Amino acid sequence: MSLVDLTSMAKPNKEIRGKILTKLGGIELINCFQCLKCTSGCTAFKLLELAPHEVVKLVKLGFVEGLITSEIIWTCATCLKCTERCPQKASPYHVIMALRNLAVEQGAKIPEAYLKAVSQILETGLLQTTRKVTTKEMETFDRKRLGLPEIKYPTKTFKTVLLKVLEGALA
Amino acid sequence: MKVAVFWGCRILTSQYAYEISVRQVLPQLGVELVDLREMHCCGDIIKSINTFATTYMAARIMALAGETGLTDLLVPCSRCHFTISETRYLLERNEKLREKVDALLEEEGLEYPPEIKIWHVIDLLHDAVGLNLIKRKVKRSLESLKLASHIGCQTIRPSAIGRVDSPEMPQKLDKLIEALGARSLEYPEKLDCCGAILMFSHPEAALTLAGSKIKALQELGVDGLIDSCPACHMMFDENQESAARVVGGRLSLPVLYYTQLLGIAMGIDIEKLGLHLNQTPVEKILEKLTQLKEEAHDGTETRSKKERRV
Amino acid sequence: MPRIGVYVCHCGLNIAGVVDVEEVTRYAKTLPDVVVAKHYTYMCSESGQRMIQEDIRAYGLERIVIAACSPRMHEETFQKTVLEAGLNPYLLEIVNLREHCSWPHSEEPEKATEKAKELVRMGVAKARLLEPLEKRRVSVEKSVLVVGGGIAGIQASIDLANAGFKVYLVEKKPSIGGRMAQLDKTFPTLDCSACILTPKMVEVARHPNIKLLTNAEVINVSGFVGNYEVTVVKKPRYVEEDKCVGCGLCIEVCPVKVPDEFNEGLSYTRAISIYSPHAVPNVAIINPEYCLRLKYNKDVCGKCLEVCGTKAINFEQQPETLQLRVGCIILAVGADVFDATKIPELGYGRFKNVISNIEFERMSDASGPTGGKILCPQTGKPPKSIVFIQCVGSRDKRFHEYCCRVGCMVSLKQAILAREKLGKDVDIYICFNDIRAFGKGYEEFYRRARDLDINFVNGIPSEVRSAPDGSLYLSVYEKSINKLLELHADLVVLACGLVPGQDFDRISEIFHLPRSADGFFLEAHPKLRPLESPTAGIFLAGACQGPKDIPDSVAQASGAAAKAMALLSKGEIEIEPLKAVLNQDLCSGCGICVPLCPYDAIKMKTERVNGVEKLRVQIVEAMCQGCGTCASTCPAGAIKMQKYTNEQILAQVHAALTESGGVK
Repeated sequence: MSLVDLTSMAKPNKEIRGKILTKLGGIELINCFQCLKCTSGCTAFKLLELAPHEVVKLVKLGFVEGLITSEIIWTCATCLKCTERCPQKASPYHVIMALRNLAVEQGAKIPEAYLKAVSQILETGLLQTTRKVTTKEMETFDRKRLGLPEIKYPTKTFKTVLLKVLEGALA
Repeated sequence: MKVAVFWGCRILTSQYAYEISVRQVLPQLGVELVDLREMHCCGDIIKSINTFATTYMAARIMALAGETGLTDLLVPCSRCHFTISETRYLLERNEKLREKVDALLEEEGLEYPPEIKIWHVIDLLHDAVGLNLIKRKVKRSLESLKLASHIGCQTIRPSAIGRVDSPEMPQKLDKLIEALGARSLEYPEKLDCCGAILMFSHPEAALTLAGSKIKALQELGVDGLIDSCPACHMMFDENQESAARVVGGRLSLPVLYYTQLLGIAMGIDIEKLGLHLNQTPVEKILEKLTQLKEEAHDGTETRSKKERRV
Repeated sequence: MPRIGVYVCHCGLNIAGVVDVEEVTRYAKTLPDVVVAKHYTYMCSESGQRMIQEDIRAYGLERIVIAACSPRMHEETFQKTVLEAGLNPYLLEIVNLREHCSWPHSEEPEKATEKAKELVRMGVAKARLLEPLEKRRVSVEKSVLVVGGGIAGIQASIDLANAGFKVYLVEKKPSIGGRMAQLDKTFPTLDCSACILTPKMVEVARHPNIKLLTNAEVINVSGFVGNYEVTVVKKPRYVEEDKCVGCGLCIEVCPVKVPDEFNEGLSYTRAISIYSPHAVPNVAIINPEYCLRLKYNKDVCGKCLEVCGTKAINFEQQPETLQLRVGCIILAVGADVFDATKIPELGYGRFKNVISNIEFERMSDASGPTGGKILCPQTGKPPKSIVFIQCVGSRDKRFHEYCCRVGCMVSLKQAILAREKLGKDVDIYICFNDIRAFGKGYEEFYRRARDLDINFVNGIPSEVRSAPDGSLYLSVYEKSINKLLELHADLVVLACGLVPGQDFDRISEIFHLPRSADGFFLEAHPKLRPLESPTAGIFLAGACQGPKDIPDSVAQASGAAAKAMALLSKGEIEIEPLKAVLNQDLCSGCGICVPLCPYDAIKMKTERVNGVEKLRVQIVEAMCQGCGTCASTCPAGAIKMQKYTNEQILAQVHAALTESGGVK
């Protein structure tokens, strides 16, 4: 999915851009001088067309709204190569995480699996329930059968505090 | 050495072989594991939702570790290791953030331990336990094996916050493999990502990334791929068949956790290493080892045959 | 009480835009002893200066207070102004209403005005106590030390020598020529580097006014401007310079192979060698790390001794220490090339076919390791595709933030040379972030490269990978066409930047020179004084002050030489009297001040006073920089700082803290 269409429609939004900059703490995002090293080495580019340099430039110019509602920010593989190699420490990965946070805050559409994970964490503390594994010989095992200790799930207080934190952001 | 251990969601709910093999092998190398009193998510996935929530969750894990009285925390999952390490790095430098987190932890009477040291299985074995001790514990040399290491992405990047190994020329996992007598190959795709996190949103892309790497390794003729992270292992081992369907062709590469490989070399019973849980044909590796052993010891009997059972 | 004149400058709007200069002037007039107080738009202008001079005569002014910008800007100018009007220049006090008032407090004009009044009050309080002082004249040595024999050092030496000054040119390598000697051609003219350089090198060697000291290093510098004492150590070559004729027979018979440093390790030379193809002096040198005889014992080998026709080889040669007296110093020590092993993902050090720009240059040079042919190091065959990667180690917060200034032009040059040597069927790509072709003829040179069908890829690759056969491939996103290109290269050339030399720390210490944030040597002012170091009498030229190309290095060299000539031409210089002065009667000889002086300007001495031996200190006026450390430590209060006496400073403090600036 090309981002060209989005930019021709959107207008720069200074307020939302300011939110991203605040989230990121430092100013290094605006140091980006478009050397393109990040996109040249991006794990997600070839398959999913994620161009980190474009994301950074769009944010720098204030075209954040299009990004928040776009699927593109959910294509990052979090391999951190861009963070490691960027000569200006602009770290597109961190910019993308900030955009994701903002997407959640603004109620944009986010991948189902993330929402499921959140509700699971709020319920049991872990991102999924324990699975039974089936071996190549078609035998099924669970933790108990494997002699692994029981999971010590977290107390209710943890979930209360966590919910409070998450709601605080969404409020 | 005594370390607190934080397993994380994936190991606890599905990647049992990692937990089994770590629990089996580490004590035999002088590392005693102490579980935390509670287990919850480190906040990895939550990062995309609310990074501050992640900071709180990771800090809470460290607080629980601090409660054990130990200053060393072992985090075998690479993603958890990055999440917790980055949190530690931020809390060390950002007073305001630290205050906010302290306030939340205080609600449960918890305290963040600033002196905590975070370990991964790889650097714990390489730096703390040491290659010499590992070499001494090898009962069965893996000489015949040509293996490829996959140290993963989040163990080595971003180097600015201090990671487990060098970001561009990681050698620790290779040295650990070589300490067992096997060869660890340098290959162009060595630093390529397994794609695990994309299973949440773009599973086909994720499987393509994993499948391409396996394919490349098969073409190089390696005997197996060695990883040390439940997310990577899920992609290369559990999902190898699905990956094959996406990239086309036949994928049949044995994939093991390093601790499983280490256990084999230490002469530990293979059941105790969870090898039966691996979805890829790890028996090929065992066969290769026993073949040579049988060739070397003509007529020696049943121990080798017993080891063939998977 | 002296008659004081106060002059408040608007500095355009710099001061007047914040401070109410009229109010300050009015206030100044109310201060005791102030006879006239005026304000003006630009006090430093001709009319401003004339006004002050006329007032000095008209009002019989004895002290002048100028409230304006920082004294660093115009104190010297105003000193000349008052001197011309017949007043001792040290009876002038500058009050800083700009850097110390209007600029930092630009948001609070009322408070700034109040502060300006206080500052003027303090200035007047000091002015009352100022005493006339005289500059001293010191004779200078009419000789110059030039450190570094690259193009900058060579040019400076020639200019100075031709002007009649004696030059000591010290070069740490066995031959002069520096980086320029390693180049094949120079941009943008594609002149043969050796052809334009060697005549100058030979001129240096032959010039009667230049003493060339190669294989030598400066190990100590002491003294002061006009009178520096320099210790140089000439390391042994184990070959007598006056006997060796550079025939090269010894090299042929030497059994020990040594990586050739001049060829960046791309070929081997011998333990005895001549450093470079056009070496000046053209004299052999034995490397003690590799020579069997020097490393082990004399019975092991002596092949070179046997063949040397002039008996020039001398294994007993010792290092020679020379003490030189020079008037000033020009530092022209050049720069190093970035070590690309620090960026392993580009493959340098791992893949043989990834080379640096300096290695390419050696290959391209006809007197280099491949006889001028461009070849892939792994196969020895010419490449069918070459990819240049720009900004390696430069414009990168992880390594060096600055732009190396020459990387673009070097790659353009090398791409053009590759095209000329390998023909039009070779694919040549330059992966860049920006193309900086800023100088005279440079943009035309860039166009020349495009004319030769060299492909410009606007994007930097993240990593370089190697296929099993040693060929290389890389992905790079091209900004203009928005496509990810997969380039295959037989040869990858990295445009490594120029970086501060590894021995800069040591040089910094020896010459007492500070460095700027980028690691190069700091100039006195980045805009207006790029050739002077903060230390009087030491000048900078060439890449050691900041990465630059040959035209700029030559220009700086001639400029530095001119500065040196200006300093030394009169045979003497004036020394500022703002120094520490000792009251002999109060000095008890405790010696506390001696180790504290950062300039080693205080010595202990014994004197006979009234027949009694007394221990006292002596302050060497010419070495004293007036920092004040000794004066503040002296328990007896025996040292006073000229124009910064205790009384003057305390008067300022008192003025600052009291309403009316009480006059006692």
